Amino acid sequence: MSRQSFLGATARERAAGLTDAGTFQELAGPRDRLTSPHLPVLGEAVSFDDGIVTGVGMVRQHPVFVISQEGRFIGGAVGEVGGAKMVGIFQLALAEYEEWKSHGAQEDCRPAVIISFETGGVRLHEANAGLLAHAEVMDQIQCCRGKVPVLGLIGSKVGCFGGMGFVAAAVDVIVMSPEGRLGLTGPEVIEQEIGKEEFDSADKSLISRTTGGKHKYLMRDCNVLVPDSIEAFRQAIGDILEKPYEEMEKCRRIGSPALVKEQLDVAEWLADLAPSDARDVWKAMGNPMAEEYPDMDVEEFLTHAVRRRRGEQ
Amino acid sequence: MTESLIGKGREAIDWLLDSGSFRENLVAGERFPADLGPGAVVGSGLLDGQEVTVLANDAQAINEKFPVVYFGVIGLEEAYKMALAVYAVREADRKKPASQKRPLLLLVDTPGNAPGKLEEIAGMNKATGAYQLALAEARMAGHPVIAVVIGRAISGAFLCHGLQADRILAMNPGFGTMIHVMPVSSISRITKLDIEQLEALSKTNPVFAAGADFFYRLGGVEEIIDSVEEIRPRVIRQIGEVREQKAEGKTGPMGRAALGNERGGRVWRSRVIRKMEEEYAEIADSYRPWRKEAYGR
Repeated sequence: MSRQSFLGATARERAAGLTDAGTFQELAGPRDRLTSPHLPVLGEAVSFDDGIVTGVGMVRQHPVFVISQEGRFIGGAVGEVGGAKMVGIFQLALAEYEEWKSHGAQEDCRPAVIISFETGGVRLHEANAGLLAHAEVMDQIQCCRGKVPVLGLIGSKVGCFGGMGFVAAAVDVIVMSPEGRLGLTGPEVIEQEIGKEEFDSADKSLISRTTGGKHKYLMRDCNVLVPDSIEAFRQAIGDILEKPYEEMEKCRRIGSPALVKEQLDVAEWLADLAPSDARDVWKAMGNPMAEEYPDMDVEEFLTHAVRRRRGEQ
Repeated sequence: MTESLIGKGREAIDWLLDSGSFRENLVAGERFPADLGPGAVVGSGLLDGQEVTVLANDAQAINEKFPVVYFGVIGLEEAYKMALAVYAVREADRKKPASQKRPLLLLVDTPGNAPGKLEEIAGMNKATGAYQLALAEARMAGHPVIAVVIGRAISGAFLCHGLQADRILAMNPGFGTMIHVMPVSSISRITKLDIEQLEALSKTNPVFAAGADFFYRLGGVEEIIDSVEEIRPRVIRQIGEVREQKAEGKTGPMGRAALGNERGGRVWRSRVIRKMEEEYAEIADSYRPWRKEAYGR
């Protein structure tokens, strides 16, 4: 069993490790040499996978279509080719759903999509094409509703920011490790746009408290919190896919009028609370041990954590 | 250079709709609180006698509860308000045939999503994501969704308020229209690429250059509009076209992807997807437990 750190692994190791041993097959892999046509124009090096590993594997009886972003290549940023690989995975999964349905096959082999996020969003070197690819991915996630469950995993070095932050918010189920980071505007950008007094991007523990897995779990923006190992993420995926599809849909944070109303209530509650730090929010939700949370391991944290109450704040 | 339309989101509602027909904060019978998300204007009105819902940015408004929200920025309240307005129409028209579902018209003039500590604590990514999902759902259900870029359509804010539309029209750059992810100076700072080289390239290379004409070549914008008077007839025509072409999958982000291929600005995308389909077809049966003989695991 792979106790290997998810954080320290490559995108390819994660993709293979998240699916059953020996089942992962890469699609549009490095051998196809589908590299960015736009980077050489700027004199930049290319990567044979354009920074995104895509393929198919099995999780028990489920065919699982995998997207795994590689932060080591231009911070995992998404351009034309990498964006197309993401869209391609959704289209294959949706086509496979029709095949599965037409055979009247069992729920335990329903196709699924897994995205391991490691990205700051749009690749600036080909920004316009990257932006348009993001819109296509959001479109495909909506197409998957009611058909193909989409699971997001965040436990990488770069985390998940920018336009890919929306994409993560839009999936059915989010699994994070405490080391994972999820947000829209990255810490450096907030500091640059508003100032160091608003957000000190050099303060690692502040970043962790604001965007890390524990905060997201307490806010219910992450559904499952796991320790930093590929095996823990793999277990979580297996457990989720074992549930009926309706249970996975219940993990959603947005995507219906009722959920949006609930999120608007959260925003209003936070505006009134005016927290200076995420810890103030944890305390207000009933976590007297909030100061100690950042140092706890996942197991201990989960025994104490009191999450945001659903419905009105 | 004609007059800049930046900051004229409210005026644009009047240019577009039948005179005096706009009812702010009233959408499909649902009333929105007047003080909610002032940076976003939602309401309903008539266009050529047909009832439509309008979503616009108000660059003059300041959101007192969320101090980073001004000048057309889309904040938490703004994005959730826009999402709820879309859902209100979607729910009200749920049982109507596609031909009668009310159009949603997006007037785009926004510099970005709200950047702030409170926003990140709350999860700003959900707010903008929520609006995109609502628009995508309404579009797929049959509502014509038309966006008109009158001013700024910047990065993530354009993704949430614009890029999920069936069709995107943009005022020509002479009106001060801005469509981009980031100005070249910031791209240079972050990527450490030489600014002079970037500026020279940005005049010819549509994949990172700022401007509506470059997005046009990538298929990111369907049409460029050359005068304020043209907005209304173009939107009316697009609503009709979209009602017909939606079923053929020629609209929305996927329609624009095909257009990018046609116009020569994004030709790699389709090659990549085709390659994946071919490769998967070779091995597909070994991932189908329901085809027992071929599966063999």
